[in-house]
Amino acid sequence: MSLGAADRLLLASARRGGVWLGLTVVTSLLLTGAGLALPAVMGRALDAVLSGGDTARWITFTGLLIFVLVAVDAVDDLVGQIAEARSTAWLRHTLLGHVLALGTRATRTFTPGDLVSRLVGNSARTGNSASGLVWVVMGLVPPVGAIVALALIDYWLCLTFLAGMPLVVLLVRAFLRDISDANEGYFRVQGTIAARLVDALGGIRTITAARTVDREARRVLAPLPELRRHGLGAWDAIARISARGDLVVPLLVVAVLAVAGLGLAQGRITPGDMLAASEYVVMAAGIGGVLSSLNQLAQARTTAGRIAEVMAEPPAAYGHERLAEGPGRLEFRHVTVQGTDGPVLQDLSLIVPGGALVAVVGRSGAGKSLLAALAGRLADPDEGEVLLDGVPLRRLGREELRQAVAYGFERPVLLGETFADAIGFGTPTPSAEDVVAQAGAARADAFIRHMPAGYASRVTGTPISGGEAQRVGLARAFLQAGRVLVLDDVAASLDTVTEHHISQVLTGALADRTRIVVTHRASTAARADLVVWLADGGVRGRGTHRALWADPRYRATFQPFSLPAADTAGGAR
Amino acid sequence: MKRRAIRILRSSLSRRRREYGRLVAWSLVQAAPAALSGWIVARAVDHGFLAGRPATGFLWLGALAGAFLVGAWGTRHAMLGLASLIEPFRDELVTLVTTGTLHRSARLGEPADTAGVARLTEHVERARDAYGAVVLFVQGFLVTAVGVCVGLAGLDPVLLALVVPPVLLGLALFAAALRAMAARQRDVILADERIAETTSALTGGLRDVVACGAEDRVRAETGAQVDAAARAAVSLARLTAVRTAALGISGWVPLLLILVSAPWLVRSGVTAGTILGAVTYVSQALQPALQSFVQGLGSSGLWLLVTVGRMAEIAAEPEEPEATEHKATETTKATETTETTETIEAPEATEAKAADADSGIADSGIADSGTADSALDATRGPMPVRPGGARVEARGLTFGYAQSAEPVIRDLDLVLWPGEHLAVVGPSGAGKSTLAALIAGVLEPQAGEVRLDDVPVLALPDGDELARHRVLIPQEAYVFAGTLRENLTYLAPGATQSDVAAAVRAVGAAPLVERLGGYLAPLDPRDLSAGERQLIALARALLPAPRLTLLDEATCHLDPAAEAVAEAAFARRPGTLIVVAHRISSAARADRILVMDGTRVGLGTHEELLAGSALYRDLVGHWGAANGSPAPVGSMPRTGGVRDAVRAL
Repeated sequence: MSLGAADRLLLASARRGGVWLGLTVVTSLLLTGAGLALPAVMGRALDAVLSGGDTARWITFTGLLIFVLVAVDAVDDLVGQIAEARSTAWLRHTLLGHVLALGTRATRTFTPGDLVSRLVGNSARTGNSASGLVWVVMGLVPPVGAIVALALIDYWLCLTFLAGMPLVVLLVRAFLRDISDANEGYFRVQGTIAARLVDALGGIRTITAARTVDREARRVLAPLPELRRHGLGAWDAIARISARGDLVVPLLVVAVLAVAGLGLAQGRITPGDMLAASEYVVMAAGIGGVLSSLNQLAQARTTAGRIAEVMAEPPAAYGHERLAEGPGRLEFRHVTVQGTDGPVLQDLSLIVPGGALVAVVGRSGAGKSLLAALAGRLADPDEGEVLLDGVPLRRLGREELRQAVAYGFERPVLLGETFADAIGFGTPTPSAEDVVAQAGAARADAFIRHMPAGYASRVTGTPISGGEAQRVGLARAFLQAGRVLVLDDVAASLDTVTEHHISQVLTGALADRTRIVVTHRASTAARADLVVWLADGGVRGRGTHRALWADPRYRATFQPFSLPAADTAGGAR
Repeated sequence: MKRRAIRILRSSLSRRRREYGRLVAWSLVQAAPAALSGWIVARAVDHGFLAGRPATGFLWLGALAGAFLVGAWGTRHAMLGLASLIEPFRDELVTLVTTGTLHRSARLGEPADTAGVARLTEHVERARDAYGAVVLFVQGFLVTAVGVCVGLAGLDPVLLALVVPPVLLGLALFAAALRAMAARQRDVILADERIAETTSALTGGLRDVVACGAEDRVRAETGAQVDAAARAAVSLARLTAVRTAALGISGWVPLLLILVSAPWLVRSGVTAGTILGAVTYVSQALQPALQSFVQGLGSSGLWLLVTVGRMAEIAAEPEEPEATEHKATETTKATETTETTETIEAPEATEAKAADADSGIADSGIADSGTADSALDATRGPMPVRPGGARVEARGLTFGYAQSAEPVIRDLDLVLWPGEHLAVVGPSGAGKSTLAALIAGVLEPQAGEVRLDDVPVLALPDGDELARHRVLIPQEAYVFAGTLRENLTYLAPGATQSDVAAAVRAVGAAPLVERLGGYLAPLDPRDLSAGERQLIALARALLPAPRLTLLDEATCHLDPAAEAVAEAAFARRPGTLIVVAHRISSAARADRILVMDGTRVGLGTHEELLAGSALYRDLVGHWGAANGSPAPVGSMPRTGGVRDAVRAL
């Protein structure tokens, strides 16, 4: 990802701070100005007091500046954080919208966990640093201004400081180096503990069965003393660095005070100047802080880059065409879809007659689910075209397409607050009766009614089995069902009786739709009008179950128990 | 959450009073320059530079430099003292999180989410840093404040009256805002976590969102949460502004007061050096300490509370397991009294019950009659009784994963002869693993009970002895970092080398042992394939010679031949064997087969099931078809042929 895109994103998100960002600029200017002026004004006030000048005037000035500092600092905090919150929210909205527009493509390029970290953590960091841009620039002003102020008071003071400054720079560099050395071992051991914990969690059923949880906890924690040793090593480095930190800046102050004292004795400078000088040294020593601001900015660019990476993916494009009345005839024309190693489907052509019940069978990995996904644009072919009632799918409007093609999945993800919500999730305004009716058709009504709050039970708070989730997902698909209904192995976790009932719904109430059913069960294939048998990236056979059954290779696809390839069973030779 | 966090923090601190004392002592040394600085500057100016004796001034400043050296020395040791407080605290947190996660996962019977584990490591580190910052800054502020007060009093007690009130005023304002800030900080963190939750549901279910055409709806709902998080951040920002104002008041107002009173101070004989000294105290000692204190407590402190509270939540271990144990022991006592009547159960009673179960099944509409009445009846037919096996008896077993959810297993009865070999088959999600866990006593049934030789399985003893009664090997073989021998003797720590070698040979793992470089070679679980792990777990299960072995798809990553070898090793030895079958060939090797289909079950021999169970026919029919006996669905294959084909595999 080019940094240009990251930088543009960073600036765009900063701009979303709007008027608040503008205010941050104003407050930061005021703060910097007041902070720079204050030591000098305080010095004048002290001199006025000691030598009988215009005391009232300088003290009033001091009071004003301090008031500005206190008040504006608070305002600056407020507006800065508001600007950051707005930038972050904008980034999140933008990224969220884009991820949704990408649809299933997003999860092909990025893992879900990765997307979450970009949506939550990276967006916050980018958003927070966007308005911090102002302070990266403004942060330079006080140290530089203080050095100039020192020179204005007495150039010897400035020279003393400049001679001592390399020490400060060295300190900052030593800080970065020492810590990273010390932390390496620490993170390694920490990784060991985490890995052991993950191992133990993976084997938790063995551990639970053997009732050895406590023994395993001890095993996971065994490297703890080593972790502590590395930790103490890191602390030793930190202690040395902090001691140096507590030394370098104060010694700079002492050195400048000594030179100022000499000037005072010689009458070159006043006590007020000396006061101002001691304040300016501390301010000037803050130059190290600029480095950390820059570091933060670099981090923000990195996180902005990670967001820009997602934004660079082109979203799924939908057309604007509408469908005429039609039976739901699907046509796959020379469809090729590439997988990570070679094509999964290659030059596949297939016509699914409108209103037919079509079973798609084949061994795992034969591309059954992919074919199902192509039917409703959950995936797009790399080559070729899929047409619904004569219209290429990608020319259809999004809503038109979704109203036409509904999906049921083997492992549905149930979205929505309540079960009623989850079933009506894809339907614009589902009526309560329809929801209950379709839940009944999918054999989900009974167990939902048994829940404490029935259809109003919360999905997240109610543990249900895989088979129950499948039935809720099925009810959702039934409710949505347009002219095409695609069921991707929806009966995998269902008992034979439930499956039978659902088959009856498919051949009864939904008999007028085109039904594409991916299945592993011969009984389902036997009930279909047409069986499409996939193998080796294409259609191996097409016909009724009875006709295809003569082929032993066809029968072999109905292995009820999975047979792992022999080469994955290492050590079993 | 907050209260528990505070308890953890407090107990950690109170257990290390000595370390804390040392930290305090060194931070007093660390604060020496802060306490001396203003006073020395005053001396240097009044007695040195302004008195025309610059050498004296230099001497005083040299003394100040020396004070800073001593202070830096103190800083170093104070940090080390802090380390000796914080490292044990980190250890405690890691222990808390590890044991908590393990226990919770053990209770759930499945791993707590592993992404969460990664977040935990982050939380522990964050808590460690925050704890360090809080102790350091609070400590640093207290010591500096005392030092500055002593120093100011040394310069002129009047100065105290100018400095202390505004500092206290600012701190009071801060304290007043702190409680509300904590609440709002928590709101911010919770809002972010809600976004994380929603987005992970969203990204995990993108396919479903798209398929439902619900992009706009999801966008609106998640967008509302994004806006809520932004509002929470702004609401926190308002209070942060108060905090900044508080900091400004206590840091800057003292300086203003000193200057405002300067004319009066000078008139009453206070020197220029004293005023310079006072300003030094405030701007170079008090202000930085205040800033660290307020920011440390305002951000690190809140983070600390929230993260430790979160960890405490994860580690929260209600007394549930103990209660289970307690109940189990009670059951044992109860059964001891009724044992005699239970053991010699009349066959009539058994059959009557079976008939009940049968009619129940008939009601629910499955054509499994005929097989169902064999569900209890283990007496029919010549059943091999191998010595050393446990008689397994399950009565009225019912289990659901939630009180409200549909039970996975409903009112199941099952009796196995000592040494019998049972295979459990059925579609995924039918409850096969649940049944295995119930029989092994890993799960507690909602109703009914399981007995091994008339001892309730829940009352089996803990520790190494448990594995001599029963062993359950699940599908995910657990191999941990350690030697191969440690892994193999996991369930039988005292096993002799010859026993270990015999077990390894029996399951066909000898070549694997050779490849790994012998029994004492250290093992990295990541270097092993899933099949190799399963071989290790299988050899492990043989070693304690359990009376009951349950293999829950424990051979699924082995090829059929290797699986046959491994299962034969278990079948040969004395002891009852229950195999949750991954392949139908496993079923062929068993004495009897249990078919699970939702909450409906059928039990019988291969032939009986072919006659009585539609599902079993379906399963075997497909399989038989795959091996050359043409059998369209619905028509039944000839039993003999299938049996032979099964044997051949």
